[in-house]
Amino acid sequence: MISEYHRPASMDEALALLSRKNHKTVPLAGGTVVNQPRDESWAVVDLQDLGLDTLQQRGNFLEIGAMVTLQGLLAVDGLSPALRQSIQLEATYNLRQVATVAGTLMAASGRSPFASAMLALDARLQIQPGDKHMELGEMFLSRPDGLAGQLVTSVTVPLNVRLAYHSVARTPADLPLVCAAVGVWPSGRVRVALGGYGQQPIMALDGPEPGGLEEAVRIAYAEAGDTWASAEYRRETAVILVRRGYEEASSIPVSA
Amino acid sequence: MKITLHLNDKTLNLEVRPAESLLTTLRNLGYFGVKHGCESGECGVCTVLVDGKPVNSCLMLTAQAEGHQIETIEALGEHPQQGWKLTGGLHTLQQAFVESGAIQCGYCTPAQILAARHLLDKNQTPTEAQVREVLSGVLCRCTGYIKPVRAVLRAAARLRGEQVEPIDGQEAGIPAPPEWQGGSGGDLELSGGRDTALTTRVMPKVTVTPETTTWQRVGKPEIKVDAVKLAQGKPAFTADFEKRDMLVAKVLTSPVAHARIAHIDASRARALPGVAAVLTWQDLPRVVYSTAGQSDPIPGPLDCFSLDNKVRFVGDRVAFVAAETEEIANQALKLIDVTYEPLPPIFDPAEALKPGAVMLHDEPEYVNFAESDAKRNLAAHIHIDIGDVEQGFAEAEFIFEADYEVPKVQQAHLEPHVVITYWDEDDRLVIRTSTQVPFHVRRILAPVLQLPVKRIRVIKPRIGGGFGGKQEVLIEDVAAHLTIATGRPVYFEFTREEEFIAARSRHPMRVHLKTGVKRDGTITANAMYCLSDTGANGAHALTVTGNTGHKSMALYVGDGPYRLNPNIQFIADIVYTNHPPAGAFRGYGVPQGFWPLERHMEKIARELGLDPLEFRLKNALRAGELHPFSTAWSEGREPRPEYIETNGLEECVRQGRAAIGWDEKFNNPGWHTVPGQPHLRRGIGVALVMQGTAIPYLDMGGASIKMNDDGSFNLLVGATDLGTGSDTVLGQMAAEILGVPLEDVIVYSSDTDFTPFDKGAYASSTTYISGAAVSRAAQKVAERIQLRAAKMLNARSDGLEVTPEEIHLADRKARAPDGRFVTLSEVGHHALHHEDQEQIMAVDSYVSPVSPPPFAAQFAEVLVDVETGQVTVERLVMAVDSGVIVNPITASGQIEGGMTQALGYAVCEEMVYDERGGARERNLRDYHIFMAHEMPELHTIFVETFEPSHPFGVKAVAEIPMDGVAPAVGNAILDACGASISANPVTPEKIWLALHKSS
Repeated sequence: MISEYHRPASMDEALALLSRKNHKTVPLAGGTVVNQPRDESWAVVDLQDLGLDTLQQRGNFLEIGAMVTLQGLLAVDGLSPALRQSIQLEATYNLRQVATVAGTLMAASGRSPFASAMLALDARLQIQPGDKHMELGEMFLSRPDGLAGQLVTSVTVPLNVRLAYHSVARTPADLPLVCAAVGVWPSGRVRVALGGYGQQPIMALDGPEPGGLEEAVRIAYAEAGDTWASAEYRRETAVILVRRGYEEASSIPVSA
Repeated sequence: MKITLHLNDKTLNLEVRPAESLLTTLRNLGYFGVKHGCESGECGVCTVLVDGKPVNSCLMLTAQAEGHQIETIEALGEHPQQGWKLTGGLHTLQQAFVESGAIQCGYCTPAQILAARHLLDKNQTPTEAQVREVLSGVLCRCTGYIKPVRAVLRAAARLRGEQVEPIDGQEAGIPAPPEWQGGSGGDLELSGGRDTALTTRVMPKVTVTPETTTWQRVGKPEIKVDAVKLAQGKPAFTADFEKRDMLVAKVLTSPVAHARIAHIDASRARALPGVAAVLTWQDLPRVVYSTAGQSDPIPGPLDCFSLDNKVRFVGDRVAFVAAETEEIANQALKLIDVTYEPLPPIFDPAEALKPGAVMLHDEPEYVNFAESDAKRNLAAHIHIDIGDVEQGFAEAEFIFEADYEVPKVQQAHLEPHVVITYWDEDDRLVIRTSTQVPFHVRRILAPVLQLPVKRIRVIKPRIGGGFGGKQEVLIEDVAAHLTIATGRPVYFEFTREEEFIAARSRHPMRVHLKTGVKRDGTITANAMYCLSDTGANGAHALTVTGNTGHKSMALYVGDGPYRLNPNIQFIADIVYTNHPPAGAFRGYGVPQGFWPLERHMEKIARELGLDPLEFRLKNALRAGELHPFSTAWSEGREPRPEYIETNGLEECVRQGRAAIGWDEKFNNPGWHTVPGQPHLRRGIGVALVMQGTAIPYLDMGGASIKMNDDGSFNLLVGATDLGTGSDTVLGQMAAEILGVPLEDVIVYSSDTDFTPFDKGAYASSTTYISGAAVSRAAQKVAERIQLRAAKMLNARSDGLEVTPEEIHLADRKARAPDGRFVTLSEVGHHALHHEDQEQIMAVDSYVSPVSPPPFAAQFAEVLVDVETGQVTVERLVMAVDSGVIVNPITASGQIEGGMTQALGYAVCEEMVYDERGGARERNLRDYHIFMAHEMPELHTIFVETFEPSHPFGVKAVAEIPMDGVAPAVGNAILDACGASISANPVTPEKIWLALHKSS
């Protein structure tokens, strides 16, 4: 249950609140996760007045303010169709109005289409205090307390990576049973993220070229069984999705 | 904390708690158009506009909303006439929702309208896909989304200044060819994709019977009588009610599946400030009862207590708390000390029957019904022999045997179970509750509460969907016990998680089928065995599973001599396990029968090389034949013979196959592949189904009609409109007989103090049973009007003498054959004020000796990815014989919504438990129900027959759409890729496994 609500007007104030030792305090972005009923008592720091909802293109990179909503990101011109699809599959239309890019990533489980896509894109988090950077995959492994007292201020993704997203679900808009996001860099670098299972999406491959791709996928999802799908099914289906994804991503024309 | 809220046209200074959600604040302020449906933002019924965007108010803190503009449905339009004050009327969107039949239960309507407003504020020329995308944040369990989508498009057209066609335009009332043969039938045009054309049509195709042609009200797409209030989000539901000093109730639920409560101590909870009462099993009288909302005597065992010293499933009740606030009540739950003495749990229904299995119900108070046997964990047993199946199998040339399985699924009505109880000024207990069965609530709870029936009043306001889940006396006792304990009003509402772990569900079953067939396709014998898991209690155990046999196994009697003497066997064991109890869910056991039966029929047809449609029709029950089960079983009561009077099944097949293009697709290899996509396959499938219409010799509905001065009428019915539109169709029948427009009939349902008895909304009975009661009462009132009108006309001496029988009621007039008339207003004034004063009023009721089955042909088209097993259902066509259709809009809304629920049963809905009995599905994210933007095309065709046992020729429509979708989809998957799946839902992995096994 939320015991205190703060809406700081400055980053310093926010960080001071978040670093309090005597009272568990968490950042409140859109609130679609933090505001759900729970037994634990904590204070929330609403980030809406910190100006973190801006989008900036820097060369081949898009810097997405932590408070940009999923719907706001969807509205960005020229966003990769695969990334758009992952956003649309991530949350309902209403939830996308308030759920933020950073909040969604921080709370993402393995079944998150958006986090899988962002992992394949090698998204980087900018963190205060100290202007630190962190890879998305690293953040997943550091949860829940790895970023205590700190704040993700933006998320940066490359714009020149060709991305494909493929998934299997029970219905067209259901959460994936298994999903694969494949990013192909202009250099030929290939990054493959798998989702649909576990606490977070995982990296199956990040290499200079696609050699050994299918074997890497099989290894990554060798044990990925739960009550939603068997490991065998996820493993074999992931291979198919990755194969399709790589084919699709490689065939996307390289943008100027 | 203090905040300032900009709400609609007001600026409010409020004191709120940090944790307070915007939903809570708004409802506390009286903005009841904002609804509660879940706590995790999936359902969207709590939508408000925040700076013009649709946002779930349950997940926004009120403090977060400070500085933003909040709009609720209350900011939109209002009724156009408020006495002498004319208003701006309804908003264009509200008007379009009202006209288009977009409102069924209306619980999600304000949210849908607000989401649509957000879209139309930006874009007045939206595509259907854009409308569906925007509506996808708001779940609807009633409509299948077709009519809401159409309503938004209609409103957009109006906002663009375009003329919109009247709803009852040329789409309605296509006359039937005289002999139902020849003619092409099925002239629906199916479009290629949702983006390219408008695929949603408000009006279904109706093939009308000749008897209906002179009717003015029955058969017309009248606007639902409750639509205007629901479009405005008026406080019409159970929870939309304020009462001073009302306490909030919470229930402590069991974390273990099976245990004795060795020790329970609530003293710490009782000591918590703000706690008004804590009740444990030690505090309540020990009254055994059944929660099944059925007529007396309950056709099942009495096996539950309000609180017991034993828990039998994870989610079972342990203690009740009433406190000043929800937070305090939740805190108090944690302060109740319970020691559980674990008992071995049983999760496998086959284990439950084994000798030596632990007994779930060892309580001495247990009351058996029929063959229930608590010692064997047997809640009910059924054995029905029609003819001689062994003889039939001996006469067969082929025997087909297979096992099937159907899952546990949830009704998932968007309004949770909710109740408010209080003592009135006469010390009578008022129970305001979201129920399908107000009269059964009163009768069943009286002994539990130790009150006589006469000291209980049950009020059923508008209901936000029920689907059988509210045919259970599930939570009323919690609030009532707490009101008795505290003397104060008590409010209790389930959370969505409680809906999943503690409410009822569809019985899961394992089914074995054995069918004997001759080479020419004649079925010689058909035997079904069901092992049904009723969970921890046996409510509806016998009757649900009985209907599995009674309805599904009655459809195929065989051909030739077998038609007269079919060989059918149905045996079922319905057993207790430590799963949450199952209960009533739309279809009531029949979908569980049709999944195996129609999958089985498909396999037989294919193996014998027979056309699946011809094979089915060759063996199907026909008009004039005896319902084979009618002499064998009747819901635990005495069975009596029933003959099928009307059966439009062949015409349903003809119309449906034409509409879906069966002949061009089935057996056409070219159609089954997708050019350039070698991993995709198309498939087409069918299932034929039947249901029933009410329970014969048992289900009774009553109605009273009272005439007012102005020639309007109050129609009071005990029937419970759950959002289905039953109030409207009952009003239409009264209006037809009384010769008035529907707006002159003020329909009220239901209140056990004021309205006549009705057994309630279940068994597809209201239009038929309650409709016949309304028709009879209206006929009596009409006779009084005719008598008086004749007298009034004859007193004028300005024409020939008329007799009452010659008076015709129409257009608000009582008219003589020569054209002279008195208006009904004149009759009303005459009766109440002028001469031989009387209250023109009548009450009547109806119970039927028969349960005429509706029939339907359900078609499905699917696309299967044979590499991953992913299946996409692309199109569903249902052609239904529901007798005469009283209101094509509300009836097609039933079919569309039912097919959508059934689609979930086909591909995604199931409730799965871990090895300790814990539920996997606890929210609407894991329990996925179809959203607006992922729907297949849905098409409804009504093939009218005139059922002679009813004054307006009606049969049921409500449940039959649940029956055929899953098997039709299963059969279409088989057609697409050869994967034969025996257990629904058909998930990608099941298809993948089937394909891998075969390859």
